[in-house]
Amino acid sequence: MKMKLVILALVLVLLSAIHGIAEPHKKDGPSKDGPSKDGASVAAVHNSGYGDAIRIEGEQRFRANCGRCHTAPQKFPPRMMATVVRHMRVRATITDQDMQSILRYLTQ
Amino acid sequence: MNYIELGGGITSVTLCCPARYATINPTIAPEKLGTALDFLRKIFRNWRSLAFTRSWAALILALLATVSAAQGPENERPIPILTGSAGFFTNVNGGQAQLVPEMNPVILLPLGDRWLIESRGEFKGEFERPEGGGPYGGKVEKELDYLQVDFIANPLVTVTAGRFLAPFGIYNERLYPIWIRSLQQVPLIFPIGTGSSDGVMLRGGFPVRPKVNLNYAAYFSTLSTVNKFESDRTAGGRFGFFLPGPRIEAGVSWQKLLQEDRTNAFGFHLAWQPALLPLNLRSEYARSNLGSGYWIECAYRLSQLPFWSKAMRRTEVVARAQQLFAEHISENEAEVYGLPDVNTRQGDFGLNYFLRDGLKATASYGRRFSSDGNSNIWTVGIAYRFVFPLGRLGAK
Repeated sequence: MKMKLVILALVLVLLSAIHGIAEPHKKDGPSKDGPSKDGASVAAVHNSGYGDAIRIEGEQRFRANCGRCHTAPQKFPPRMMATVVRHMRVRATITDQDMQSILRYLTQ
Repeated sequence: MNYIELGGGITSVTLCCPARYATINPTIAPEKLGTALDFLRKIFRNWRSLAFTRSWAALILALLATVSAAQGPENERPIPILTGSAGFFTNVNGGQAQLVPEMNPVILLPLGDRWLIESRGEFKGEFERPEGGGPYGGKVEKELDYLQVDFIANPLVTVTAGRFLAPFGIYNERLYPIWIRSLQQVPLIFPIGTGSSDGVMLRGGFPVRPKVNLNYAAYFSTLSTVNKFESDRTAGGRFGFFLPGPRIEAGVSWQKLLQEDRTNAFGFHLAWQPALLPLNLRSEYARSNLGSGYWIECAYRLSQLPFWSKAMRRTEVVARAQQLFAEHISENEAEVYGLPDVNTRQGDFGLNYFLRDGLKATASYGRRFSSDGNSNIWTVGIAYRFVFPLGRLGAK
């Protein structure tokens, strides 16, 4: 019985994973395509040197800190990413500056 | 279902409860907190009901989520998340096959700008065929890895209270999740100094120079024999540094058992991710009265190979060498701690293929050498990290 429950739960999780595979690649992480290019505000950031500098710094800090343990995750909506980054700040003792920079980069 | 809205100065709370309780006072005035408290008192009288207990739990979650959502601008408010990992692995250890389904749900509940409640459970089955044949069977382990409250007091200090992972080395806190670990077999020395502790911890990371970050963790844990909250009375900590430029990380760990034989455990870790190569080098050393040992692991992503680039950039090869020098511990102690009771060496080679973000197929082969006999360890499986929001995502 326990085994059946565990296998059922795993099947559900794997189905959600397969569903994720079937989604368009617009959710792919920053490691492949860089930040999302949706929206005029993002385009404005890309067009400015200041925005590029912030993005590059954020990417560097992201790769240096997050890459210590795992591969680059996909982008999540900003409110989810804010939670994830707070969790990782505690878990991986990421500095306050790094956390802010990574959050900006991941929510651009 | 009836929905009752309670007005508040800071935030608003939406309570969803079964109709049998809502009939106590189904016409709550939305803006009057006093009336709402009367309503809650009436509900308290029916607390014996299991259904009510569930409703109360839902209320607390809704309250916490709403308080959390009440801070900051709309697009920056963190929301509660259900995340974690799930996997299914087949291990063949010395010719004995084992099916290992595993799930590690994690709940993250941010409160305001500085608080975070986080918890991780572990459900792990270990199913084997009985001697003489028959269907696979076995137990499902259920553990509470951590249930902690984090308060980010300032950029230098985060205060953690509750049940947390002992900050000893890097594997226990950061590399343990099955979707993160490069090889599914945990290192031989993993049980030394690790596990969960119930107490208080101070931790943080901060830059001391533009290219040097320090990090630390110090904790005290109390003795607990409560089911699922077992803990030893210990004190310990970890101190390390990280160089973001060359991406080098190193640190030392210490743990003092404050009960029974009051032993010490020491650890050292070193990790390097060169910027020019998709390479990840990690290592740990640990020593205690149970034994000592080390592991060195190298994971290389094949993204630089000039052929089959689409497949190669998703492929990672891993190698690990490790050794454990056992102290004089009995077989029972060894089983309790999960450590070999004889000197052991092991080499592992693995292959990971990342099907998509958070989903990877994994396979590995290991050869273990010990005076108890040499054995082969095969592992094949799949690991997945899931993330679900538990609140509104807001405007995009």
